[in-house]
Amino acid sequence: MAVAVEYYLLLSAAVFCTGVFGVLTRENALMFLISVELMLNSANINLVAFSHFYGNLTGQVFALFVMALAAAEVAVGLGIVLVLYRNFGDIDVRDATTMRW
Amino acid sequence: MVGATELTPAIPLLPFAAFLVALLVGHFAPRLLPKGGAIPGILATAGSLLLSVWTFVAVSGGGYYAQDIYTWVVGQNTFSLHFGVLIDPLSALMLVIVSLVAVLVHVFSLGYMNDEGETGLPRYYAGLGLFTFSMLSFVVADNLLMAFMFFELVGLCSFLLIGFHFREPGPPSAAKKAFLVTRFGDYFFLIGVVGILATFGTARFVAVGEGVHSFPHLAEQALAAAGGEGTMPEHVAHFLDIVGMSPETWFAVLGLLVLGGVVGKSAQFPLHTWLPDAMEGPTPVSALIHAATMVAAGVYLVARMYGFYALLPTVLAIIAFVGGFTALFAATMGVVKDELKQVLAYSTISQYGYMMLGLGTGGYIAATFHLMTHAFFKALLFLGAGSVIIAMHHNEDMWDMGGLREKMPVTYYTFLSGSLALAGIVPFAGFWSKDEILYEALIYGAGDSPILLAAYAMGLLAVFFTGFYTFRMVFLTFHGEPRSDTARDPHGVRWNVKLPLVVLGILAATVGLVNMAPVAELTGLHIEFLHQWLVIPEASNFAALGYEHYHHLLEEFAGYHAADIGPLVPGAVSLALALGGAGLAWVLYNVDSPTEHTEKLGGVKTVLYNNYYQDEYQVWLAEGVTLPLARAADTFDQGIVDGVVNGVSSVSLFAGSRVKRIQDGLVTHYAALLTLSLVVLLVAFGLFGGWF
Amino acid sequence: MTTRPRLRDPATFVTGIVAVALFVVLVTVFLGAGFEGAVGYSSDANITATIGYALFGLMNLAGESAPASEGFLAAFEIIDVVLVAALVGAVMLATRDDEGGDGE
Repeated sequence: MAVAVEYYLLLSAAVFCTGVFGVLTRENALMFLISVELMLNSANINLVAFSHFYGNLTGQVFALFVMALAAAEVAVGLGIVLVLYRNFGDIDVRDATTMRW
Repeated sequence: MVGATELTPAIPLLPFAAFLVALLVGHFAPRLLPKGGAIPGILATAGSLLLSVWTFVAVSGGGYYAQDIYTWVVGQNTFSLHFGVLIDPLSALMLVIVSLVAVLVHVFSLGYMNDEGETGLPRYYAGLGLFTFSMLSFVVADNLLMAFMFFELVGLCSFLLIGFHFREPGPPSAAKKAFLVTRFGDYFFLIGVVGILATFGTARFVAVGEGVHSFPHLAEQALAAAGGEGTMPEHVAHFLDIVGMSPETWFAVLGLLVLGGVVGKSAQFPLHTWLPDAMEGPTPVSALIHAATMVAAGVYLVARMYGFYALLPTVLAIIAFVGGFTALFAATMGVVKDELKQVLAYSTISQYGYMMLGLGTGGYIAATFHLMTHAFFKALLFLGAGSVIIAMHHNEDMWDMGGLREKMPVTYYTFLSGSLALAGIVPFAGFWSKDEILYEALIYGAGDSPILLAAYAMGLLAVFFTGFYTFRMVFLTFHGEPRSDTARDPHGVRWNVKLPLVVLGILAATVGLVNMAPVAELTGLHIEFLHQWLVIPEASNFAALGYEHYHHLLEEFAGYHAADIGPLVPGAVSLALALGGAGLAWVLYNVDSPTEHTEKLGGVKTVLYNNYYQDEYQVWLAEGVTLPLARAADTFDQGIVDGVVNGVSSVSLFAGSRVKRIQDGLVTHYAALLTLSLVVLLVAFGLFGGWF
Repeated sequence: MTTRPRLRDPATFVTGIVAVALFVVLVTVFLGAGFEGAVGYSSDANITATIGYALFGLMNLAGESAPASEGFLAAFEIIDVVLVAALVGAVMLATRDDEGGDGE
């Protein structure tokens, strides 16, 4: 019995919104990055679900690329967190507010 | 060989080229103009003079000419606006006068400006060139709008030239006053031009060609239709319905509006106050502009439009009355002035009053004759005054002069020639022309018009004063013992001053011979050359511009009928008055040490010396009436109109200063805004797209 | 960081409501959309091998029973470059200069 595609989308939406929730409320920069990872992975779920829905493997290959990009992005993001720590002494994202009105 | 007619546009364009040369070369390469632009000016005006004389000869052979040069607004289903030239006897005559006086003034300027070491000469000669261009273009204009444009341009050049010595306090103020006072009149002129264009659908003076109309002819047809003959032109009827007046009334309104500009430019009462102040400009400028040509523009305009004015008896009466009044009014003020050029200025105002009187009483030929003679003798007098001023090291007070007769014979005799002409002593030019004006005023006034008779009386009385102040001026300046060191040892003048004086002196003495109307009537000889000149044969297209046509209009529409009075008695009366005035001046002032007899007039002298307080009155009008209105308008503009605009901007600024506080630097807040916007967008799309 | 655990201030969770709202909207849309049955893959298809063929642009060699796919050779190469760039970037960011930070 195959799972209907709506449920995959539901799962994807739930994971995405969890990620958004994390981005909106987390103060720790690393937790912020983890939330971003969640969002990327929800996109992956979406891609694979539709790949199964249409019977076309493009979605799955694309998901692989997304994963590679996520890894690259985390690498750079961790570098930024390091710089943030060096400048502010703490990785609280609410500290860096100089670019304001 | 091109005919004179094709070269007509070159007549004004040559001085324009001189203007450009003086302006551009004088600014960028002044070394190329050793005399500061005088040579191009003299060559250009001499060229214009030659072409004008050639045109004059062509016209005397019947070569009248009207041509559209350039249509600058092409009207679809309505009238077009164009520039064009009109060469008929009147304009050909005026072209010769203007270009002759212009070339003589340019030569005189070599002596007055160059030899006296004035600076800024390219600006001066550029101004003269531009003025000559505008005046010549005004003279050949074939429609009222073009005439208006050059009328204004002439006023601008007057402003520039009066204010030539702009670093001193007097001239710029005088220039402003001249410009503003004439502009005030020109405002009414402009409304009149617009009115004429709207009423008649054309501003042309004469209709030559297929399907072309002129407004005097249309006005004549309209008035004839109102009187019961013929049909009213459609355009005119349509406009009269809009305005809701009868043709006589509306055309009179238009005539009076245009007259506003004439009154300003020709310095008639009440817009005469600028002319005495305009004497702050250099004397050659006064000679050219404020004696012979620019102030003639107003009178010339009425003469040009005479086919229109001859239909309007009320306006003609007003013109005559204003003219006669101004003649007397200014002559009384000229009696008490102490400065040489001031006397001449008031004399100019007075003499133009005579010309307006002539036009108003139907004496078209007499007024044109006086325009011509006055141009010559007044330019002569001003140039003579310039010569005296050079000699007296720019001291104009007549009470410091005296005894210059022996030391400056050429100036003296030419000045005397001009003075005799001005006072109207036979056989000099002024006698014939002024006498003819007064004669026409008398015969048409005695017909049955008390206003014309009153104007005649004022003009006649002014003859006495004219003779008096003219010879007072001559005796104080040239006769008697020198009253100051400068008068004992005056600065010499050269050929460039004396040559124009001699030329004009001869003209002032002889030009009256072209139209000796009394002699012609007495002897039956046909020596009224000017009369014959201004008559155009009925067969010609241009007949509407000829005296026969005007005479016909005056009799039919204005109801002017000449009384039967011989010319000898009025001529003798005016000659007697002129001699009387001159004789009184002889008795009072032709002594070795004249006293200031005008002091005996006491309070009268104070009033006259202060110009009947007209200047103060006009300043009061400006400060007391116009300034508060202007202030109120300014408050409205700044407070309400600007206030609305500023209010809009301040709303924007305030809103911006509040909204910018959203950017608080916190990344999470930005993310929240992003997500919120995404949600709103999705909901909106969903509602419109029917997702739910 | 070795700091003692701190309780998070509940007030900081307020902005999370937006995430919940987003979830509600997405769920409404997804459940309301009418999807037909999924096509799925054939039972004897080798998915992993096909992914490999697709990555190198060799779909014409994949065999008849392989599901359809596009060729991703160009994307493969570009991702390679991106990964290298990210690596270098991360190292550059992390390098400590004398004053610390990545040198203004």
